Amino acid sequence: MTRQEIEREVKNIFQREFEVENPEMDVDLREAYAFDSIDAIELLLEIEKFLGSELTQEEKKRAMDIRTMNQICDYIEKLAETRKVAPVKK
Amino acid sequence: MERRVVITACSAITPIGHGKDQIVESLLKGISGIKTLREDQLISRFIHSKVYGTVDYPVDYDFKRQYRKTMGPVAYYACQVAKEVLEQSGLPQDFITSGKMGVAFGSIHGSPTVQRDIYKVFFEAKDKTAYQSIGAVDYLKSMVHTTAVNITKMFGITGRVISSGTACTTSSQSIGYGYEAVKYGLQEAMLCGGADEYDTITVAVFDNLLACSTAFNSEPHRTPRPFDKLRDGLVVAEGAGAVMLEEYEFAKKRGANILAEVIGFACNNNGGDLILPNLDGITKTLTLGVENARINAQDVDLVSAHATATKMGDIIEAQAISAIFGNNPYVVAPKSYMGHTMAACGAIETILSVYMMQDGFIAPTINLEEIDERCAMIKHVQNVLDEPVKIAAIQNFAFGGVNTIVLIRKFS
Repeated sequence: MTRQEIEREVKNIFQREFEVENPEMDVDLREAYAFDSIDAIELLLEIEKFLGSELTQEEKKRAMDIRTMNQICDYIEKLAETRKVAPVKK
Repeated sequence: MERRVVITACSAITPIGHGKDQIVESLLKGISGIKTLREDQLISRFIHSKVYGTVDYPVDYDFKRQYRKTMGPVAYYACQVAKEVLEQSGLPQDFITSGKMGVAFGSIHGSPTVQRDIYKVFFEAKDKTAYQSIGAVDYLKSMVHTTAVNITKMFGITGRVISSGTACTTSSQSIGYGYEAVKYGLQEAMLCGGADEYDTITVAVFDNLLACSTAFNSEPHRTPRPFDKLRDGLVVAEGAGAVMLEEYEFAKKRGANILAEVIGFACNNNGGDLILPNLDGITKTLTLGVENARINAQDVDLVSAHATATKMGDIIEAQAISAIFGNNPYVVAPKSYMGHTMAACGAIETILSVYMMQDGFIAPTINLEEIDERCAMIKHVQNVLDEPVKIAAIQNFAFGGVNTIVLIRKFS
C-alpha cells in the first residue's frame, strides 16, 4: 500500500461520507469543512473497513488529535505498518 | 415585571398543507388530510385503525450535511418550520445568536424511526459488526430534545432551551413556557413549537387502548369526527408547527409584523389517572387561563378545542367549555381536518387560530354531521363563517393528565 493509495482512499471517504470534494491536505478540517468529533468517529469506522481490521481503543484515542488530511494519512500509514497487512481495497 | 408578548411569525407543515396559503385553502374547502395507514413491514398489519393524518407531499429541504448528520425525520420537520419562522420574522442574525433568544421545542419521543433501527440491532446483533452499525449520532437523532437542539445548532441560537415531551401538550407547553420566558424578562424572544414524524408505534398504543378510529378505514377523509354522533376515536398524524414570540416593545421598535398577541397561558395536572379525561382538571385549566389573561370568559369568541374525537374526551371537553365559556364562543375542532399531530398539535392549532384572526373567518369542524346531544350545549361551527375573531383559546390535553390553554388576541 502506497501513500498515494491511502490518500486516494481517504479522499473517497470524504467525498462519500462527508460530502467534501477534494479537500486540501494541510488545512484544519474543522475550520475548513466543519469536520467535527461526530465525523471523526464515523471516519474511524471507515478506516477500519479500509484496513479490514478493528482498531483498539488506544489507537482510536490517538486519532482525536488529528486535524488535517495529511495527518489522517500518516495515522493510517502507521496502522497499516503495525498490522503488516495490505488494506482491503473496495 | 410583566411584559407583553406578541407573535411575529408562524409556519406549519401539516397533513392539509405547508404554509399559510395551502392550509387556509384546505380549511375553507373542508379538505381532509387523513389517508390510509402505510404498511410498515412491522406492526401495521396488526393495527385495527387503518387511517393516518399524512404529510404526503414533498417538503423542499435544503440542509447542509453538517446539520443533516444529527437529524432524524422529526428534526427535519422541526428545522424546516424553524427556518421559515426565522426568515419570516426578519430578526437579524446578530440577535438570533446573541443569547437573548431561546428555543422551546419538543416531540413526543424523539425520532421513533431512528429508535426502531437501534432496537433492530439490539435484538438481532450476532456479531460486533452489527453492534458497530449503531451510529455515533443515533442518540442525537432520537433523543427527546432532538428537535430543539438541532434548531439551536442550525441557527446558532444560544439562549434558553426548553424541550417539553408531554405528549399532546408538548407544543402548547412550548408556547406557554416560551411566553412566560419573554413575559417575565428572561428572554427577548423565543422560537416555540413542536413536531412529530410518521410513526405506527403511536397508532398501536392508541389502537390497543381502543381509542383509535376504525369504522372509516375505507373512507379515511370521513374521520376523525369530533363531537359527531358517529365519532369512533382519534386519528394519529404527523406534522410540525412553530411560532416566534417576541417582547412587544422590542418587536414594535424593530418594525416587526405583529400577527397576534399571546395574552395568557395555564397548565395543570389532573392529579390522578394518567389516561382518562378529567372534568375538574380541565375546567380548572380553563379557569386559570382566563385569570392569567386577565379577561372575562365572555370575551373569548373562539375556542379551538382539543377534541380528538374519542367517545368520552369530547363530552368532557364540551362540558368544561360550557361551564367556563357558556354558549358564547364558537367552538372548532382542528383535528377534524388533519388528525392528531401529537407533539405538534398545540402549535399547529395556535397557528390556525392566528390565520383565522388574520383573515376574518372561522373554519368549521368537518365531519360534524350530527352533533352528539351530549356535546350539543356549546356553539359548534358546521360551515365556514365570515366572523372576526378577537380572542381565541387553544386547548390541549395529554396523557399523563396534563392540561393546557393558550389565549391569543388579534393585534390591532
